[in-house]
Amino acid sequence: MHVEFTVNDEAVTWDVPTSEMLIDTLRDRLGLTGTNLGCDHAACGACTVRVGEVPAASCSTFTWQVDGASVVTVEGLCADGALSAEQAAFAERSAFQCGYCTPGLLTLTSLLLDEVPDPTPEVVREWISANICRCTGYEVIVEAVLDAAARRRSSDAG
Amino acid sequence: MRADAVEKVTGAAGYATDVVRPGMLTAKVLRSPHPHALVSRIDVAAARVAPGVHAVLAREDLADLGGSSYGYFIKDQPIVALDRVRYIGDPVVAVAAETEAEAVAALEMVEVGYELLDAVPDMDSALADGAPELFPDPPLGIVPGYGQGASGELRPRQNVCYRFAYTTGSADVFDQCDHVFVDRFEFDGRQQHVHLEPFVAVAEWSGESVEVWSSCQNPFPLRKELGRLMAIGEHRIRVHVPYVGAGFGAKNNCKAEPIAVLLARAARRPVRYCMTNDECFLTQRQHNATIELRTGVMSDGTLVAKEAAILLDAGAYADASPLVAEKAGYRIAGPYRWKHLSTVTDCVMTNTTPAGPFRGFGGTQANFACESQLDMIARRLDMDPVELRMKNLLDVGEPYVPGESGMDSDLREGLGLVVERIGFGDARPEGRGRGVAIGFKDSGGVNKPAQARVKIATSGDVFLHCGTIEIGQGVRTGLRSVVARILGVDVSRVSWPELDTDHTPFDQGTNASSGISVMGQAVEQAARSARAKVLEFAAGVLEVPVTDLDLDDWAIVAPGGERHPLNFMVMGHYGGTGYEFTGEGFFKAANDHRAPLETQCVSWEYGWGAAEVSVDRETGQVTVHHLVVSGDAGTALDADVCRGQDEGAAVMGLGGALFETMLYDGAHLATADLVSYRVPRATDLPERFESILQEQGHGPGPFGSKGLGEGTMLPVASAIANAIEDATGVRITAMPFTPERVLAVLDAAEEGS
Repeated sequence: MHVEFTVNDEAVTWDVPTSEMLIDTLRDRLGLTGTNLGCDHAACGACTVRVGEVPAASCSTFTWQVDGASVVTVEGLCADGALSAEQAAFAERSAFQCGYCTPGLLTLTSLLLDEVPDPTPEVVREWISANICRCTGYEVIVEAVLDAAARRRSSDAG
Repeated sequence: MRADAVEKVTGAAGYATDVVRPGMLTAKVLRSPHPHALVSRIDVAAARVAPGVHAVLAREDLADLGGSSYGYFIKDQPIVALDRVRYIGDPVVAVAAETEAEAVAALEMVEVGYELLDAVPDMDSALADGAPELFPDPPLGIVPGYGQGASGELRPRQNVCYRFAYTTGSADVFDQCDHVFVDRFEFDGRQQHVHLEPFVAVAEWSGESVEVWSSCQNPFPLRKELGRLMAIGEHRIRVHVPYVGAGFGAKNNCKAEPIAVLLARAARRPVRYCMTNDECFLTQRQHNATIELRTGVMSDGTLVAKEAAILLDAGAYADASPLVAEKAGYRIAGPYRWKHLSTVTDCVMTNTTPAGPFRGFGGTQANFACESQLDMIARRLDMDPVELRMKNLLDVGEPYVPGESGMDSDLREGLGLVVERIGFGDARPEGRGRGVAIGFKDSGGVNKPAQARVKIATSGDVFLHCGTIEIGQGVRTGLRSVVARILGVDVSRVSWPELDTDHTPFDQGTNASSGISVMGQAVEQAARSARAKVLEFAAGVLEVPVTDLDLDDWAIVAPGGERHPLNFMVMGHYGGTGYEFTGEGFFKAANDHRAPLETQCVSWEYGWGAAEVSVDRETGQVTVHHLVVSGDAGTALDADVCRGQDEGAAVMGLGGALFETMLYDGAHLATADLVSYRVPRATDLPERFESILQEQGHGPGPFGSKGLGEGTMLPVASAIANAIEDATGVRITAMPFTPERVLAVLDAAEEGS
């Protein structure tokens, strides 16, 4: 099946089997291995990418479903090689350990902050409860998301 | 900032799941649908010639190997099924094909004849008279050497693969006790590790040698085990381990590797075997346990004697169960003063997923029982549970038991911190209860050797060759900082070459919170040795005593502050090109037969915990309002990393306490994936969740540091159980504290009263 979409602002056109999952297209065809496969049931959030303005579990999204859409992976969060606000906050606050869930949490966070620029800790917990992090205990991730929100607001103001 | 921060937030970090080799095939495995059966027939003829298939692995393909089964002390787990299967999910046949779809299609062509046997899905049925045995023949294995008071035995009774026993002092002291209390605890935890990166291995042969890329915690023992299985030398096996997407114990020893290696050899192509997360549920789990404690005390709360009878559900294969038994049975006394201890731990085989190493390593089970019972005893004696603990805790430096090393944290100081933070002595809000507990285990493993090498290039750039895996615990951050500090260079100049068993110095494994306590000492020694060589070289060139010189930012600092840049000095001396200074380090606790486990524990890991809870009388739902945990890093090499370890461990403990369990319906695993098996999410955090990082400075690691990462998991369940009794007056002795279980206990107490 012929699909056309963008990944991290680059146009992609491909003939893919209708059974092909988005995560396989990203990892195997495009070499974007930042997105990791976790539970394979859309339950853990490790494979979360942005499809337009919504998060999607790329393990459970057929590639044909993103035809015409704009897909953003963790690799696409960097702007001109610089870390995004959420990447910088996660890095500087050590809001990760093994790092396997981190790309999914970062793409989710970028959407959260687009939608809710000044979230409360409760809102952050609610959003990130879509994703499993088995390493950190979450508190530091909540702090990093709030920090990222502050960084975004201050750069918008500047 | 952590050493791995930028790679991990940009998606650049490479895991074994990312490894791709030219011409790589995909492996899939056919697993047993039956919990216990003889395998009468396996027909793989059609699969061998199926489209896209390059190799098939069934029992007939194991005949010429050096061994067909693997394990730790007991080698009982077949690579693929031999004469029988022992749990639902036991691997039977594997194939390697061009695509996953072709591999799956080929497996559907495999015909397997099973003769069903009665299954023993739990310990009661496994130990019942006349129960079918998983292993009719005695196991092939060894009993490790033990020291004072400890012993091990293979297959002491039906369906028990191993027994560990430990005794010190005389049981006669029970006669002098004012009270003897017998209590029984059910640890029905059976947690799944849920490392999000699955078990994965890529294998590629070149002639008689094989390279393996694996998500594993102990590449050197893995290399040895693969060598034994394949009947080839360790020099023909090269294991690479990139970043590992967590393990929590599960990634010790063989998982995906033997199948990948054998299929790759047969196919003459690289093979990747990446399990699904569902398959991980069928590969490894935590031990559930029943623990009976008989404890003698004086009326004033002085602890005197303890006997423990522990049954660990090992599942279908021995795996690390003997080691887990050793640790559960040895540590169950807790960090308290006793006159007599006697513990027996049996590993019971059942037709369930094999149990293996899991964060806490037997300590989680033991701590739930012993820290719950201490509170129960305090209440029976009408004593404050904090006072009872304070009265009996070991002092800094005081040996755990005869022949053992001493405590390396001030236990009272730690307990005081969490007691104060939770407000244990203060009035409770209506319906709330508070509880405390102390987690206790050794840190650094037993008899663990570690080697390290530090290499300094001509221009002062440093390579730390270290076999500890970066599995999320932050070891690259911690140990690079140690080297940088000793060599007087900025940490950005210290690189960490990726682990490759051909070049990286030996390490026993990334487990037992040993990265700082054990490997840290080897790394420190390697860095000091390299530094000494640089100073000796400079002293020779400058013709001054070595003792007068210092090293800073790759310059020699002479008395009076005169600086001599080393770059030019080295090039000038070594022919104008360059030279590398190399320091080696090695650490292992000394062999010592007076120590029960043959070496003294390198360090002790404590987790102080306190909880405030309420219980919904109608539903049985336990709400943890406030959870405080505290660990002691000795000296924190990186405070963020230490905090992460403490908080992550505590939340894993919280999941185990409240709801996590691999639930079996008979021998069928009912919670077999991450849809049905629940782990803590951000919304499960208590309203208040705090960790307090202590730096008491008594650790054996570099600059007084010591290992963290398991301790704060251990007190969570017992602190919550103790808080539940504080809130409701009712004691819960079985885990996890699900609403159904808590409600049943509350109802029973009400009916009984």
